[in-house]
Amino acid sequence: MDAPVTRPPFNPELIPERPARAAPPAPNGTVTVSQVTAMVRRALADALPATLHVVGELSNFKRHGSGHLYFTLKDDASELSCVMWRSDAARMKFAPTDGLEVVATGKVEVFERAGRYQFYVRKLEPRGVGALELAFRQLREKLEREGLFDPAHKMPLPAFPRRIALVTSPTGAAVADMINTIERRFPCVTILLYPVRVQGPGAADEIARAIRAVNAKVESIGGVDVMIVGRGGGSLEDLWAFNEEIVARAIYAARIPIVSAVGHEVDVTISDLVADVRAATPTAAGELVVPVLDEVVAGVNALADRLSRGLASRLNIDRTKLAALSSRSAFRDPRAVVYRRDQLLDELAVRLYRRAVERSAHGRRRLDAVAPAVDRIAPHRFLLQRATQLQSLDHRLQALVTRLANAAERRLAAAMERLERVSPARTLPLLADRVERAARGLGAAQKHKARLATARLAAAEGRLQAVSHRSVLARGFSVTRLKKGRTVVRWLAGVEDGTRLVTQVADGEFESQVVNLTQLELFD
Amino acid sequence: MAKKKLSFEEALETLEALAEQIEEGSVGLEESITKYEEGMKLIAQCRQMLSQAEQKIQKLQERADGTLEAKPMKRPKSDEPAAR
Repeated sequence: MDAPVTRPPFNPELIPERPARAAPPAPNGTVTVSQVTAMVRRALADALPATLHVVGELSNFKRHGSGHLYFTLKDDASELSCVMWRSDAARMKFAPTDGLEVVATGKVEVFERAGRYQFYVRKLEPRGVGALELAFRQLREKLEREGLFDPAHKMPLPAFPRRIALVTSPTGAAVADMINTIERRFPCVTILLYPVRVQGPGAADEIARAIRAVNAKVESIGGVDVMIVGRGGGSLEDLWAFNEEIVARAIYAARIPIVSAVGHEVDVTISDLVADVRAATPTAAGELVVPVLDEVVAGVNALADRLSRGLASRLNIDRTKLAALSSRSAFRDPRAVVYRRDQLLDELAVRLYRRAVERSAHGRRRLDAVAPAVDRIAPHRFLLQRATQLQSLDHRLQALVTRLANAAERRLAAAMERLERVSPARTLPLLADRVERAARGLGAAQKHKARLATARLAAAEGRLQAVSHRSVLARGFSVTRLKKGRTVVRWLAGVEDGTRLVTQVADGEFESQVVNLTQLELFD
Repeated sequence: MAKKKLSFEEALETLEALAEQIEEGSVGLEESITKYEEGMKLIAQCRQMLSQAEQKIQKLQERADGTLEAKPMKRPKSDEPAAR
């Protein structure tokens, strides 16, 4: 059908399909608008090459709802209006923006209905920088603004992973490198390979989908501690899937730590920037995710050593404490015990003397009381005799008490002298001093002898303490132990009628059985 | 007493703490011995975990219903020289 009278809205998509209208007859010597346009069109087609590469600055850039792009290319003097169809626009990786210097490839044609010429762009490239590189920079800036590279969002890798997921191509060097490295360093893991295409159309979608699937269904596959996403080296185009926004977002959303390992050391991708850790190569990724087994084993052994040494030194400290305790005054200087008894004896002697004096005074008082009566009766001679007798008794009593006290004191002194001889407190410092003086006098070559002397000193100490212990037994003390377990009986706890005991005395031991167990009311 | 099934990492942390307590002497002798025994049990567990050397490689596949399944697979061969 004929076109409507009013011009339809500008829609370049319709242009190729639109049939040329038959020119209405024109009066002689005139041409129609369509004829002029057709002539211009032919002239342009003859004059211009089929393909032009035009350098200029982008302006008035618009993306139509249909997907077609409209913009103007300009330089200092001129402007060129441009169209880029949706299908061509979709192949473009970077986002064109006003002000961008570009190289546009296409051809100039006349847009007949509007009567103007337009540049139909098939390919748009940024100037001075590759399209992919620009696309990379643009996406990097965008995601950076959104915080996708924020270090605060990055998760630490587990120190000892048990299950590792690989999202990569199932063939090629990369996957083999990853598996070999992991296996060589830390064989006690399970590797879960999610095979994906890593280049070409659809690769980015597959990678993103795999990351999301592992992340969402981690429980159903027995858990995953860490994921490696990557591939081996290649051209920028080959690696491109790892520069796609969809992959970046999948990595960012994952709750499992992700190591990105794409290409070689020099290749940095958007995936590398979003991932929790970037590995320079697939091999490096393997090294990052697992420790070296031998080192871990050594660490465990070191801990075992620490436990053993810790306990041993702990026991030594306690042994030293015990030794210090047993050398404290009560154990080391039994004289104190004797001194206490000594004091008690003194007190008893004083009391005995007082009692004796009192008795004698009492007798004298009674005598004084009866004296007047006796005087009256006058058995003077008898009374005098009794008084003398009483006095001599008094003297004898005093002498006896004094003698008893003196004898006790002498025995005590003798006992103390004996104790002093055997007490290690007195003899040990003397011995130690001697050994030390000897050691000082010895040359370095003879230190060995000093050590022997020290050992002898230790032995002597042991013997002395044994003597001291035996001397306590010899004084009539004994040590009673439960026959079962040989624990020393200090209290009645654990003892009952019938319990079998072993009692150690100075020259041996004997067994006995408890009868008539009685608890002393010691406290209130 | 710690729970029976600790992760390797947790076991190491616990061991570290036990060793420190014993070394510091902050616990009694009796307790030191208990902690030592507990530590030695964990050491044995750690060694056992590390000795599970049978490395497994599985292949993940998405089923029609969207769930994942893990199937045993052979180790992939490298058909090109290793990258770097």
